[in-house]
Amino acid sequence: MKLLNRRFLALLAVIVMVIAACGGDDTTGSTAEGGGTTVAGGGDCTVGMSWNNYNEERWAKHDEPAMKAAIEAGGCEYISSDAGSSEEQQITDVEKLISDGADVVIILAQNTQAIKPAVEAATAEGIPVIAYDRLIEDANTFYVSFDNVLVGQLMAEVIFDLVPTGNYIIVKGNGSDANSDFLREGIESVIGDAVAAGDITICCEDYTDNWDPALAQTAVEQWLTQENNEVDAVVSENDGMATGAAAALAAQGLSDIPLSGQDADVAALNRVALGTQSVSVWKDARALGTAAGEAAVALAGGATMADVEGTAEFVYTNKESQVETVLTSILLVPIPITQDNLNLVVDANWITVEEVCAGVTAGSVAVCA
Amino acid sequence: MSVVEAAPTQLETPDPGPRRSIGSFLRDNEIDTRMAGMILLLVVIWVAFHFLSGGTFLTPRNLWNLSVQTSSIAIMATGMVLVIVSRNIDLSVGSMVGVVGMVMAILQFEWLPSLIGLGNQWIWIITLVAGLALGALIGAFQGSIIAYVGVPSFVVTLGGLLVWRGFAWLTASGRTLAPMDANFQLLGGGSRGSLGETGSWIVGGVACIGIVALLVLGRRRRRKFGFRLRPMWLDAALGVIGCLVVLGAVWVTNSYYLPENLARAIAEERGIAWPQGGLQIPLGIPYPVLILVGVTLVMGFVANRLRFGRYIFSIGGNPEAAVLAGIKTKRTIVKTFMTMGILVGISAAVSIARLNAAVSGLGTLNELYVIAAAVVGGASLAGGIGTIPGAILGALVMQSLQSGMVSLKVSAPVQDVVLGIVLVTAVAIDTSYRRRAAQR
Amino acid sequence: MTAPSTGKPPLVEMRNMSVSFGGVHAVKDVTITLQEGEVLGVVGGNGAGKSTLIKTLSGAQKADSGEIFIDGEAVQIHSPRDAKNLGIETIYQTLALADNIDAPGNMFLGRELTSRWNTLDDSSMEAATREIMGRLNPKFQNFKTPVASLSGGQRQSVAIARAVHFNARILIMDEPTAALGPAETEQVRELIRQLQREGIGIIMISHDIHDVFDLSDRITVMLQGKLVGTVNRGEATMDEILAMIIIGKLPDEVTTKELEQLHG
Repeated sequence: MKLLNRRFLALLAVIVMVIAACGGDDTTGSTAEGGGTTVAGGGDCTVGMSWNNYNEERWAKHDEPAMKAAIEAGGCEYISSDAGSSEEQQITDVEKLISDGADVVIILAQNTQAIKPAVEAATAEGIPVIAYDRLIEDANTFYVSFDNVLVGQLMAEVIFDLVPTGNYIIVKGNGSDANSDFLREGIESVIGDAVAAGDITICCEDYTDNWDPALAQTAVEQWLTQENNEVDAVVSENDGMATGAAAALAAQGLSDIPLSGQDADVAALNRVALGTQSVSVWKDARALGTAAGEAAVALAGGATMADVEGTAEFVYTNKESQVETVLTSILLVPIPITQDNLNLVVDANWITVEEVCAGVTAGSVAVCA
Repeated sequence: MSVVEAAPTQLETPDPGPRRSIGSFLRDNEIDTRMAGMILLLVVIWVAFHFLSGGTFLTPRNLWNLSVQTSSIAIMATGMVLVIVSRNIDLSVGSMVGVVGMVMAILQFEWLPSLIGLGNQWIWIITLVAGLALGALIGAFQGSIIAYVGVPSFVVTLGGLLVWRGFAWLTASGRTLAPMDANFQLLGGGSRGSLGETGSWIVGGVACIGIVALLVLGRRRRRKFGFRLRPMWLDAALGVIGCLVVLGAVWVTNSYYLPENLARAIAEERGIAWPQGGLQIPLGIPYPVLILVGVTLVMGFVANRLRFGRYIFSIGGNPEAAVLAGIKTKRTIVKTFMTMGILVGISAAVSIARLNAAVSGLGTLNELYVIAAAVVGGASLAGGIGTIPGAILGALVMQSLQSGMVSLKVSAPVQDVVLGIVLVTAVAIDTSYRRRAAQR
Repeated sequence: MTAPSTGKPPLVEMRNMSVSFGGVHAVKDVTITLQEGEVLGVVGGNGAGKSTLIKTLSGAQKADSGEIFIDGEAVQIHSPRDAKNLGIETIYQTLALADNIDAPGNMFLGRELTSRWNTLDDSSMEAATREIMGRLNPKFQNFKTPVASLSGGQRQSVAIARAVHFNARILIMDEPTAALGPAETEQVRELIRQLQREGIGIIMISHDIHDVFDLSDRITVMLQGKLVGTVNRGEATMDEILAMIIIGKLPDEVTTKELEQLHG
């Protein structure tokens, strides 16, 4: 039995190594697959991408392919790593990308504060850092994102238009994610006055651990009970949580109540077509990936941040310390998708007509003829 | 092992003469004092929240919701108890829920519809069976590595936590799959997923009869063997209380009426005129709860009435003794983890049905809630001790606290702190209680 | 030196048993026999190999080589279950009781009585246990609590009851009186005599020289895995036995001087 154990373990180890070696493909894994992808002409510059947690639909489907295409079109090599939601791991990942030869590093930070040491180390070595989608409080980083405050504003505008007075539920994202607060800022800019004037009451508002749809469902369920269903609008900061909110609303026959989301994921766009969600703010992640990729190539080629096309200044004020950081940034404009402009996402090949119109009565919505 | 007492042994179970306390009375008559304590705790929590929330907690609607919210964790907790009793742990259940849930989702969302057509009435049952089978397979796989290769369960299931989460993502490239098949959705509760009035009363009636039958058979069995009987009044009281609780619960579920919008829609559908006082359609027992009850009965049976359950307890109590008694311990461990896997499958089905969607992050952190439920319910991580009803109560206590706090608008971070404190306190109380009991 | 021959094959014969763990010979080429109704004391110092030898008979240990005969017929004992099927019951030094299970559960551990639907028949097991304990230890009343809450002596009686109930023909007792006081030790001794009268063969491992002397018909001594020798009761003094245990010399080999030195 002892021998059998050892043989078994040896076999297991071999299997694991084989999987690890083959696992590169077009997803994560640093130099192993980096070495595999040859670059058309040049290959003398390398861009390293540090994902915080690859485990989300949009990164592989939209962001990464666009980013990689832009990088390779610019004549550079793309290498990447996945920190699996660990802040410590991400610091190690960034160091490794640099030691593997990255000339510029793009970071999607798991935690905007915790990543700072890695950024400082990179800057000290003269390696430019691009903060992707999530802000890093360091003036030396190049911030490429969608204007998340604008996202909040756009989603709130759609809802406020439909419900200028009444009782609101706001389902926020993860407490330690700065984006949750940016979105809330945007929402506030739209409904703040109405709240002050008493036209709108926010009965219920809270963060949701991990942006978890199931937790959002339970929260909305409990709030609806507490308010005896006297709720007129639900603002959800993303589509995942909107899925949970939608389920809770459906159970009470309240599917008609305006509901928001962002990310334009397939399920949400389908709900928009069905009428059970009012708006999903679309951030064409491909545009973001392309912008970051192009900026990375420019920076790797020696340009300074100010030289890069399309930049503007973004002033970030830390809500606790009140410290201001001025960031050179490219902020893309998100698009709110409602029943009226679903054709935009279809035409841009973001989603197919079949996916949007699943279960939709033909002719009830423009795009589902 | 304590060394000899000179005068061998005081009489152990005294004849029921002078009753020293309620505690000893209950114990003499084989009533679990710890369980009674937990029920008391639950009642206190419920009453407290009811007052703090301005009277919304102890309403049919809230209790109905609460029971559905508790279901998926409670279902898994019944299996986790046995895992913990056997001196093992399973940290991978959350990730298993994720991968099994995603597979069930993609089956009913893409694969089966393309094979047998969308809306086919068989879709839900095929999906469910597939999910259970996958759960059993993963469980047996992990169990085999633990039992036959000898890697500690902590390590194997920790690896599983990572591996199955990865597979959950790979199943659909991280997409969110929604909505679920119309029949499958019923498994998750919601406005259509319950038994309705008549069905619920029937179930309640059957349960009540069952409780009485168990008590009667128990008495008859004791008499046949000449064992000491519980006083008649006590058995009668237990029967009455049991029936009251069951029928009361059914009454509560039947007092929760379909929300007005949906009732109107049904009235329209059936061509019924809308009556003046409104149409009151009782929802009845939600399917997830029915599933939970079924799981509880089965797992209780397995733990107490089957040799398999007895073997799990003996392995937990003294693994060497179990081997020397000729018990096939390795096989038992594999079966324990396989059982856990099947329960994961059931729970995943309930979860995705309730959310009406599957996301690759499904079930994240579930293992912590499940273990907490089992432990708050009295399972000891040292092994050998734990009960199925305890785990359910544990899950109910934790969920009551969480949902109650949401209603009270306690912020999410504070909720986490409170739940953590409650968990540790509950186990601390349990540990000191056990220590005192051992010294008695 | 050898057992009185009765023409019948011995109840148990273990021939040329050898067991080694990773290069260490725990038991080396040991042969012992046991007759019906006989008590064989097996003694030796630490590491003598007596526990290991006996474990091969009880199924808890696999022998590397050697043969076992029951009633003259060769048998294979690969597991505790095999041993029990052959009528060999063991009372381990640690008692091998599951602390979280009650007395009836432990009595029938691994051999539970089942109803016709294959479920545990706890009532029958409890009734049977009450009956057995009633004969063995009438003061025992604690049938429904886990055995962890019982005293040492009570736990012992459960372990003994378990071994005795299943119609054992061969009983192995590993340090039966080690943790007992005088009253309980006397009870165990009485039990052993009673079992002997019923024709059960008993192998008793003990380091208590007095017990062994009092109860055994024959005494086998082991030293460092090897058999030193077997003597009939009355054929050797306690000191001579001691000499066998410590120095490994048989009574007719040992010198008076060495005997004196034993008490150093």
